[in-house]
Amino acid sequence: MNEAIHPLARKTVVWHLAVTSLVLILMMIFGVIMLMNQGEMISITPQWFYKIMTAHGTGMVGIAALGGTAILWYFLSKYVKLNPAILIVNFVLFLTGVSMVLIAIFVFDFSDGWTFLYPLPAQSAKMYGAAGAVFFLSGMLILGIGFLLLYMYLAARLTAVYGGLGKALGWDIIFRGKKGYGPPAAVVATAMVIITNSTALLAGATVLAASLVNIINPAITIDPLLAKHFTYAFGHIFANCTIYMAVIAVYEVLSEYTKRPWKANKVFLIAWNCSTLFTLMIYTHHLLMDFAVPKWLLIIGQVFSYANGLPVMVVTAYGALMIVYRSRMKWDFASSLFFLSMFGWVAGAIPAIIDATIVVNHVMHNTKWVPGHFHTYMGMGVVAMIIGFMYYFNKTEGNQEHRGIDTFTIALYFVFFMGLVGSFLYAGGISAPRRWSEHLPQWVLSDQVGAVSGIFIVLAAIIFTARFFSGLRCVGSQVPYQKKSAAG
Amino acid sequence: MYQQIAMYTTVFFVFLLALAFASVYGESKRSGEYSTIQEKGYKIRKFYFLGLIAIMAFATVMTLGRLPYDSNQAEAEGLNEGIVVKVTGIQYAWEMSEETFKAGDKVQFDVTASDVTHGFGLYNENMELVAQTQAMPGYTNTVYYTFKEPGTYQILCLEYCSAGHHVMVKEIVVEPEGGASDE
Repeated sequence: MNEAIHPLARKTVVWHLAVTSLVLILMMIFGVIMLMNQGEMISITPQWFYKIMTAHGTGMVGIAALGGTAILWYFLSKYVKLNPAILIVNFVLFLTGVSMVLIAIFVFDFSDGWTFLYPLPAQSAKMYGAAGAVFFLSGMLILGIGFLLLYMYLAARLTAVYGGLGKALGWDIIFRGKKGYGPPAAVVATAMVIITNSTALLAGATVLAASLVNIINPAITIDPLLAKHFTYAFGHIFANCTIYMAVIAVYEVLSEYTKRPWKANKVFLIAWNCSTLFTLMIYTHHLLMDFAVPKWLLIIGQVFSYANGLPVMVVTAYGALMIVYRSRMKWDFASSLFFLSMFGWVAGAIPAIIDATIVVNHVMHNTKWVPGHFHTYMGMGVVAMIIGFMYYFNKTEGNQEHRGIDTFTIALYFVFFMGLVGSFLYAGGISAPRRWSEHLPQWVLSDQVGAVSGIFIVLAAIIFTARFFSGLRCVGSQVPYQKKSAAG
Repeated sequence: MYQQIAMYTTVFFVFLLALAFASVYGESKRSGEYSTIQEKGYKIRKFYFLGLIAIMAFATVMTLGRLPYDSNQAEAEGLNEGIVVKVTGIQYAWEMSEETFKAGDKVQFDVTASDVTHGFGLYNENMELVAQTQAMPGYTNTVYYTFKEPGTYQILCLEYCSAGHHVMVKEIVVEPEGGASDE
């Protein structure tokens, strides 16, 4: 079971990564503009601030999903024969959806945030015209359909090869006492993402369709609290799944670099099954301040948000530390970023878990503490994994080599990312609200620290991207094709 | 108080995490038999796992008795005998049935919205967030707060509600117990 990735799929993976890296830079620039405005270093109108905020949120989650998909497809292809047409369809629908979202924001002034909290789009449609909301919601729907088709196909393939999603998650070993190891980590993670993200996308499609219908015919409504459940069942799970897709690269690449196996033993499989269940359950921590929600459901939000930290802290991150420990691993761009990405993931989980505590959430919900924790695990976790994979791809599919500038860029990125998330968390600690275009004087210093940190992060991202594109020139130049080992 | 606890706890645990990663990085330059490392690692992991469970259980026990929406607690503290204030969020203002209070007043804010979802965030004079709940059309969320100190408090919108979100601020005055301030 060591299939080679289809040449067309390899090209499509390159397209995924190219779009991811370019959009990443643009979205980072948007982030810096927002911080500079809050920090009174520049001045833009509130309308522009909120448009940029909507583009930044949608774009960042979108490219994290796109980059994560590239990683998932690339490594899953080692174990399961996959039809590249599905990846291409996903890519085309992604671009179509993104184009519609951009038209909504920058042509029709849509600025209701990437969470489009019902009934805000309908209200905005009354004031600014329906075109913006209709383009945005339809664009998100198309984007979601693209991912749903991908997961349906992957579910069919895993069922054909492994006998079902349950078996792909190792239920034979967990529940039926089968001896040995489960399927490869890439398969286990894919099964988890199929289950959770398909649920998320169905929830998202429901609220998107309901919002569209409500705009077209305001007499047809949906309960706002039910709509919020759907919105966060979609948004929370979809954003989380970007990590669960990207972490496949950590399992595969660290194992290759250290020349040590990272097998799916029983504890590993239990952890991934718990992640599957908990990820589906804990979106309610976004509703902790909706007092109308039954209390037991909110307590579940707290308790299982704590529990959801355990699989990554006790199994995945701990496993990464164990596999690297005394391994004499070669430290280069990819291995460094994958190692650091595990730090970023867990470091972000810590303030996230604290925020899921109801009494803390009562005084920190929707302050900058929230972007503080998710920027930690998205920026230093998922994005680090995707950038690490870009280098790994160029190294093994081409001949890219680690240079001094790569060490410098990784240090630049992580040092200033710590500065950025530190400024966010501090601002949350002094009660600065998130999503405010203008800030009070006592919050401005933290915004300025964040903005300056952001400028250096953008610089690092530009260097990463330039190195990726320069390395692409040699990808696929070997005839006949032969993938190299990354371990060196 | 909770803000400080959150910040110090985060710094403490992220520091420990950084130490663990730095230590493994340092050790990565040496070589060792992986089966031996795994054997020892799995033993340590049991204690690490139990330690995390203990921390999480402690935090759960310490916090679940103090839920802000717990009417039992409010009754125990006599908050239900306080002033009832109707609050409605509307783009971009807060409508309130009462706007002036006295220090010591126990207030029950019944919060809703008439257009889109807003966030009712109560800030004290030091601009520290002291209580919040969501203001959602069709629902009334009740949040309790006792004004212990006089001063100018502010209500900020904490749920994004479109282009005027940041101007959705209302000042409320809490006078000293027994009369208005001389200032």
